[in-house]
Amino acid sequence: MKSLFAKIGALISVNQPSPLLKHVPTVIALVVAVLVTLFEQNVPVTQPVAFVGSILVGTFSVVLAYAFGRRPVSREWATAVPLAALLAIALLRVGTGGASSLFSSLIILPVIWIAAEEGRRWIAVAGLGTAVAVMMPFMMLGEVPDSQTEWVRGIIAPFVFTVVAAVINEMSRQNRVQFASIHALAEERERSLTDAHEQSDRLHLSGLELRKANELSGSVLDAVTVQAIIGTDLRGMITVWNPGAAAMLGRSADDTIGRTSILDLHREDELESRSRELNYPPGATVLNPGFSALVESARLGIGEIHDWTYRRSDGSEFPVEVAVTPRIDTTGASTGYIFVATDITDSVEVSRLKDEFVGLVSHELRTPLSSILGYLELMKDEDGAPLSATQQLYLGVAERNAHRLLGLVGDLLFTAQAGSGGFPLTVGDVAAGELVTSAVDSARPMAEAAGVRLTAQGASSPLVISGDRGRLGQAVDNLVSNAIKFTPRGGTVRVGLVEPSGRGPLEITISDTGIGIPAAELDQLFTRFFRATTATANAVPGVGLGLVITKAIVQAHGGELDVASVEGDGTVFTMRLPSTPA
Amino acid sequence: MTSPTRLPRVVIADDDADMRMLVGIAVRKAGCELAAVASDGEEAWRAITEQHPDLIVLDVSMPGMSGLEVCRLVKNDPTLSDIPVLLLSAGVSGPSRDAGVAAGADDFMPKPFSPRLLAEKIITLSAGRNRAE
Repeated sequence: MKSLFAKIGALISVNQPSPLLKHVPTVIALVVAVLVTLFEQNVPVTQPVAFVGSILVGTFSVVLAYAFGRRPVSREWATAVPLAALLAIALLRVGTGGASSLFSSLIILPVIWIAAEEGRRWIAVAGLGTAVAVMMPFMMLGEVPDSQTEWVRGIIAPFVFTVVAAVINEMSRQNRVQFASIHALAEERERSLTDAHEQSDRLHLSGLELRKANELSGSVLDAVTVQAIIGTDLRGMITVWNPGAAAMLGRSADDTIGRTSILDLHREDELESRSRELNYPPGATVLNPGFSALVESARLGIGEIHDWTYRRSDGSEFPVEVAVTPRIDTTGASTGYIFVATDITDSVEVSRLKDEFVGLVSHELRTPLSSILGYLELMKDEDGAPLSATQQLYLGVAERNAHRLLGLVGDLLFTAQAGSGGFPLTVGDVAAGELVTSAVDSARPMAEAAGVRLTAQGASSPLVISGDRGRLGQAVDNLVSNAIKFTPRGGTVRVGLVEPSGRGPLEITISDTGIGIPAAELDQLFTRFFRATTATANAVPGVGLGLVITKAIVQAHGGELDVASVEGDGTVFTMRLPSTPA
Repeated sequence: MTSPTRLPRVVIADDDADMRMLVGIAVRKAGCELAAVASDGEEAWRAITEQHPDLIVLDVSMPGMSGLEVCRLVKNDPTLSDIPVLLLSAGVSGPSRDAGVAAGADDFMPKPFSPRLLAEKIITLSAGRNRAE
């Protein structure tokens, strides 16, 4: 039943009715006219051939309409159906009385079809077809209109039909325009509906992804149990509190989120001191100096790591290292801050123990060495009982080794200090040329003893380095004595000072013709206690601290230390230091 | 107060007995007299207030009151502030020297030191004190 309605619906589709459907009124009229002619004696068949021709052409028009319905053709070709119908009606008129036939009015039916086609030309076709149909009795029967009325009819009728065709054509055009706009609206609505569906699908997917992302970030926050991850709004009210924060600070998320300010975890004196450090310009509007001090760098978009003291819910305090970053939403606007706090109680304790150790070693090792060296000097200088040459030699060995031990203790202390964040520098103006001359002069006895030629270049430079004379001298001495140690007898060590071109750093180069360092070991050269395989293979004495110290000194002066070496050919160390003209 | 014929009197303090003896030898080599030998800060402070010496030689690191604290007390006491103070330190030189200067010390010697050089410093400081008088 339903499919029958669907079929009928398709048949009478407003948009594109089938040729057969459009032909139905004409066919009914023709059939009625034929039946009336056959069975009504008052309507005689005047020309049987034309009458039969009318039936045949009418039938042909039905077949044509059916065929075009089965195999669609263009609308222009489909007008063959009404044209055939028009011919059938014309023949009917010829067969049923000619110009006076009862069935002249049937002409209007195919004319409607033709006139309704798109384009003005169909008005002309309709008019012409009508004229032919009206005039056919005269043309076929070879008659001429015998009265003025017939002439008028022959002209007026096609004219009227043409006017009717024009009206129908225009109405059809308007209908088509309206239909097109309705169709466009319908399509638009269809598209909107499809878009809405797609958006709804996307929204659903986004919702799922958001939920997944939330679950992921939630699980990440929950997984961090050693660090406290605390999120706040722009005023410092806590909005995120992970289990690490709960464990570290002894407050549950429920008691904290939306109820506690990040400032409640801090010591006021530290916040005030930090505010003073940041030195807000006079007159600057700082509504909440404490909180501003916490997030100053993050507010400017720079992540900051700073040490603070946090207070637990029981009032106890502990040191933390806090990294602060801004929270940014999808539009790029700041919505608050994220604080990631690490409890540094242990590392502070380790640092304190290290400092204590450094102090202890400094005192406990240097004091006995001081005694040894002091008494050795007293023995050598004893005027009352002069020592024999052999005794003097033995004492010299003891003294030299005590000094060596003292140097080693100093190196160990220095590396410990450099490793724990720095060492003191007594800064003054250091003449770069004098630095080189003095290093070469003090190393000359060692070079002569080792049979190594030692030269200096550029020692007359007037440049001045701002730095610690003692430490810089130690750095150059280290490199020069190293170069001599690693250069076989007969080799050369050159100490050169290259003045900068423009505003670059000055360079002090120490090059030797020594045993060199394997390329694979150059990266580890500045690592504590590292010794090159060429050093151990050649039994060159040392503990692997000199270069670490030298590099630390150069870096503490804002400089760089580079090395280039070819195994078997020699090594070049280059110190680059910022300098100014004297 | 001190007659030209009387030897300059020196109070020394160090927690290490061997160092005390070494400093004592340097003091005598410098032609001075040991007024008192202390092994910690409190003992040194008592000796100084009692003896009013011509020179004080203090180790920086001592148990209890440090050499720096004793030096500060001396320099803050109007009756003692003109006595030269020489600090000896086994620490790493930089900060100790600065701290010594801040405490008002007249000179500073890092350990290990040469007894000969210490004797020379003692002579210089005590001579300056004598000239001042």
